[in-house]
Amino acid sequence: MKNRPLFLFGLFLAVLTSWAGFVLGSHGQLGSLTPFFDEADGQSHPARLPGLAARGQAVYADLGCAACHTQQVRRPGFGSDQARGWGERQSVARDYIFHAQPQLGASRLGPDLMNLAGRKPQAPSAEELHRLLYTGSAAHPAFPFLYETREIAGEASRQAVRLTGAAAPKAGSEVVATERAQTLVAYLLNVNSGFEYPEARPLPAQSPASPEAKK
Amino acid sequence: MSTPPTQASAADASPFDGGARWPLTLLAGSALVWLVVGSLLALLTGIQLHTPSFLADCSALTHGRAQAWRETAFLYGWAGNAGVGLGLWILGRLGGHPLRALNWAVVGTVFWNLGLLFGLIGIATGSMTGFAGLQLPRAVQPVLVAAFCAMALPGVLAWAGRKREGTYAAQWYAAAALFLLPWFWTATQAVLLWSPLRGVVQTVAASWHAQSVVALWLMPLALAAAYYVIPKQTGKLLPGYDSAPLAFWTLIVVGSWTFGRHLIGGPVPAWIPTMAVVAQCLLLFHFLVIWLNFRGAFAGGSVTLQYMRFGLVAYLLTGLAETITSFRGIAVHTQFTLFGPALEALLLQGALSMFLFGGLVHQLPRVTGRHWALPSFVSGHASLVMLGVVVSVLSLGWAGLAQDALLNHSQTPFAEILVQLKMPLLLHSAGQFALLAGNVLLLVAFLRSALSCCQAEGASVLRPASSAS
Ligand code: HEC
Repeated sequence: MKNRPLFLFGLFLAVLTSWAGFVLGSHGQLGSLTPFFDEADGQSHPARLPGLAARGQAVYADLGCAACHTQQVRRPGFGSDQARGWGERQSVARDYIFHAQPQLGASRLGPDLMNLAGRKPQAPSAEELHRLLYTGSAAHPAFPFLYETREIAGEASRQAVRLTGAAAPKAGSEVVATERAQTLVAYLLNVNSGFEYPEARPLPAQSPASPEAKK
Repeated sequence: MSTPPTQASAADASPFDGGARWPLTLLAGSALVWLVVGSLLALLTGIQLHTPSFLADCSALTHGRAQAWRETAFLYGWAGNAGVGLGLWILGRLGGHPLRALNWAVVGTVFWNLGLLFGLIGIATGSMTGFAGLQLPRAVQPVLVAAFCAMALPGVLAWAGRKREGTYAAQWYAAAALFLLPWFWTATQAVLLWSPLRGVVQTVAASWHAQSVVALWLMPLALAAAYYVIPKQTGKLLPGYDSAPLAFWTLIVVGSWTFGRHLIGGPVPAWIPTMAVVAQCLLLFHFLVIWLNFRGAFAGGSVTLQYMRFGLVAYLLTGLAETITSFRGIAVHTQFTLFGPALEALLLQGALSMFLFGGLVHQLPRVTGRHWALPSFVSGHASLVMLGVVVSVLSLGWAGLAQDALLNHSQTPFAEILVQLKMPLLLHSAGQFALLAGNVLLLVAFLRSALSCCQAEGASVLRPASSAS
């Protein structure tokens, strides 16, 4: 370590190699993924998130839902991802190309949400999601600040969250979702990874459908 | 615990430290304030794990945001300030000249801490970035990089302008940490915040950064403190020192490669988790050498050495456990469970913090030229934080193992899983409470020491003759 500039240069080189290898390397491999055009249904997959849902992803991120929820289904053999009905296939990089900010998460205190909208037999309804977020449950934090309790002026809003029991507002008032809650729920109702890409099949398909399908 | 933590004699204060006294005390003080803030939030998020409704009504403290606060206050507030303070001091002392450009360090420290404060306000009001390890709002991140450059400047100058030809391991680690952070943090900001990469490549970049913050910045600063302090405390040379350079370069070269262990089975290129396994195995050499070098810390009873011993054991255990869990066969059991947070606590609260505590407890009397006021608080701190780390790591590990059975091998509903985890999660909160209590003691001891140092200085101006005690 006698040579002063050489030491600093060595440090710099070590870190540059690692950063370039991993970050630019994966960018080279995945950065140009395009949607997959399916001849059978004449559509591209994944679809872009509608505007409202795209804004909802930012709400999901800034509330830190990822502290308890993952959005990545692993392939069969990894845990009970399939058995729990979180998705029929593993998540692949192409699923996220339109996510402004993928929320893969690292902890599963709650269920995986990658394919919430595609759940079988039935995805949760907007109504149920609003109720979960407003009241919470024994296992789920509540997010009451995403809702507004207000006097019913004239006719009751059709948007009001239907509540019973202790959570119900006083007579004459109603609980309505703020814009943030609406975008969040719109997002949750759009996270769907139902389409099966060639690269998501357990074994490689005979003829690679697109150059990026190698993986 | 027979020897008081304050056996540092004022005579040990070197003339080099004169001008550095206030800058270094400022860094240590800011570090301890953030430490207490971080511990408070760790307790809060711990409680929210078993009682999700706790303070959930408050948007600033909703679980996801409280986690982001906790992590930011701990990494950038506590470990960042404490590590930089120790790094500067060590580079100054071993470089053989008084530290230069200290005004820059003071200005940098002020902006760094103001930036963090605004950053935490930003997180509370909903502008966190959503990348674990890098939650600070995007507007403050460039300010923090600039502030860091100013803080690190005296250290890099001391390294470049050192008097002696030969150098010590403590210097390499400190110089590397101070030199590297601004480069890679800027690169990460560019690809995540200013011109974001597409899809999961963001996750790769963010995980790379989160790993490097610990492996290339904070841990090297903590290791520098240990390399400097352990021989000073034991009065003996470090055994196996010849291998230290290779251990250093191993960490620098492959330390950042290991982030892929969190992405096993995920939607990222499959070679990333494979490289993590390779890197973890190579790092075993680093851990082996650290063990050889530091084992002398087991002889000797000072509080400083107790911290160092604990840190050493925690560091080695984390290294082993991370290597084992980076293999796919093991990861299918531990991934996404609380086993991950258990290992993180072992590394950050067990290894990183303990090395830094050892460093600070050794450093402060030598910088101020005064013993620690309230030495019993310092040894109380040591006992409480060690207890707290053991309890919270074991209870999280227990919860993680229980979760493996419930989450991966059955279809137990999540509400039911939570009921079954109640016991370990309550214990974890108890552990975090012990940590908070301990850290408050250390902050009080620090404030008393700094205050008595101030008063003494005021008095010595009035009565120069009697100030020699
Ligand atoms: C403290 C951890 C935690 C946080 C934070 C959290 N969740 Fe949950 N979530 C859970 C748990 C546990 C469950 C399962 C609850 C149950 O079954 O009663 C769950 C269930 C859900 C479900 C139902 C999933 C299903 O499979 O039916 C949705 C939707 C959901 N959460 C959305 C969110 C959103 C949106 C956020 C952020 C605003 C969030 N969660 C934050 C723990 C959390």
